[in-house]
Amino acid sequence: MDLLEYMLQIAPAIAGGFQVTLSLFFIVIILSVPGGLLLALLRLSTNRVVTTIVDAYVYVMRGTPLMLQILLIYYGLPFMIDGFELTDMTAAVLSFVLNYIAYLCEIFRSGIQSIPKGQYEGAKVLGFTYVQTMYKIILPQVIKRVLPPLANETITLLKDTSLVYVLAMNDILRITRSIVQRDFDITAFIVAGVFYLAMTFVLTKLYQYLERRMAMYED
Amino acid sequence: MAFIDMLHIEKNYGSVAVLQDVSLSMERGEVVSIIGPSGSGKSTFLRCLGQLGSIQKGTIIVDGATLVDTPANVGEAVYVGKEEQQRILLKMGMVFQSFNLFPHMTVLENIMVAPRMVKGMKDADILPIAQSLLEKVGLWDKRDVYPSTLSGGQKQRVAIARALAMKPEIMLFDEPTSALDPEFTSEVLRTIKELAEEDMTMIIVTHEMAFAREVADRVIFMADGKIQEEGTPEEVFGNPQNPRTQAFLNSMLRV
Repeated sequence: MDLLEYMLQIAPAIAGGFQVTLSLFFIVIILSVPGGLLLALLRLSTNRVVTTIVDAYVYVMRGTPLMLQILLIYYGLPFMIDGFELTDMTAAVLSFVLNYIAYLCEIFRSGIQSIPKGQYEGAKVLGFTYVQTMYKIILPQVIKRVLPPLANETITLLKDTSLVYVLAMNDILRITRSIVQRDFDITAFIVAGVFYLAMTFVLTKLYQYLERRMAMYED
Repeated sequence: MAFIDMLHIEKNYGSVAVLQDVSLSMERGEVVSIIGPSGSGKSTFLRCLGQLGSIQKGTIIVDGATLVDTPANVGEAVYVGKEEQQRILLKMGMVFQSFNLFPHMTVLENIMVAPRMVKGMKDADILPIAQSLLEKVGLWDKRDVYPSTLSGGQKQRVAIARALAMKPEIMLFDEPTSALDPEFTSEVLRTIKELAEEDMTMIIVTHEMAFAREVADRVIFMADGKIQEEGTPEEVFGNPQNPRTQAFLNSMLRV
């Protein structure tokens, strides 16, 4: 069958985009999760100046398009700082991390705030320090509660990586688009869609597994 | 000097005075019950001793160590350094109305985590302590389950064992049976009574009048942020002098 043959023929080229897509995805996830958590802890500090700054940051990063942030960082930073050069990958990682920590901050903040005050009090009277309380008592419970929104955000990130086509990075979508333009055939889009579905399938299964593991206790 | 001195404690939430010149001195091994209507400040008072709330004025001295004092030239409460606060805190165990067990840990882990993390003890040394405490409250066979599978009475007994695992010299109970179904109240009260018989120093904030009468060496009646009356259980329950106490006890007995 011609169609299947054509699909198999273009698939390796499109799969070549996995490298950019997946490396961007993993680097951003690895940096953003701790970054978002740290931002959430700052947001929940008692220092008014700190919380106001974090609020303003989250407002700006959530309130403007990620695409705008990518363009601003890639074209704007070298312009603002003399002699500053940014590879496309660095610019992409930087803009995604700066954007995603704002969303993750809100997820972690609401998760931390959903833990009853009694948990802190129970830990405090047993002599736990703030760091011990967070590390041993609060955060393990937060992780269980934030898994569903975290899964959402992770899947969104995987798809958002396609925005880097504006930086001329050869991710899955950009390679696909060039094939569509070359062959004058939209079949490549279908193949790309299948690739994205395959990746989100793995993520979905991973989160289902984590949720099941966490389900061994109830709040 | 008494074992515990809480002297002229004052606490406000904004302009609302929740504790007004409340004082309590206790000897080692004494059991004090604090009774009174909701909002009387009795839990707040207990929490100040457990360092879950700060005071604006007054003095708290535990076993000769000053937690907070109000020097005349300062005019407001001054707390000691964090390390000393922690040292005093570790003399105390506290049990809450809402249990506050850690839901993500098994019963055994709930008991072992604080001795391990706070005192730096080895698991091999904690385990026999945890076992004897869980056997004492009758829950050793529940050691590997999570708290959500326990009844309220069982949760509270685990919470008591958890506090005792830190070898406190003073136990603070903040309405330990108020969240329990009536059928589970007695098993918790029995555990507390056993502690009293072992001469544990205890302050018990409770609505269980019969229990307060039975277990306490001294009963304090609080209302409106003040101690209205105090004395032996016989005095307070048998022959209350203050009209507020009389009205409260009448309302508690009129079911």
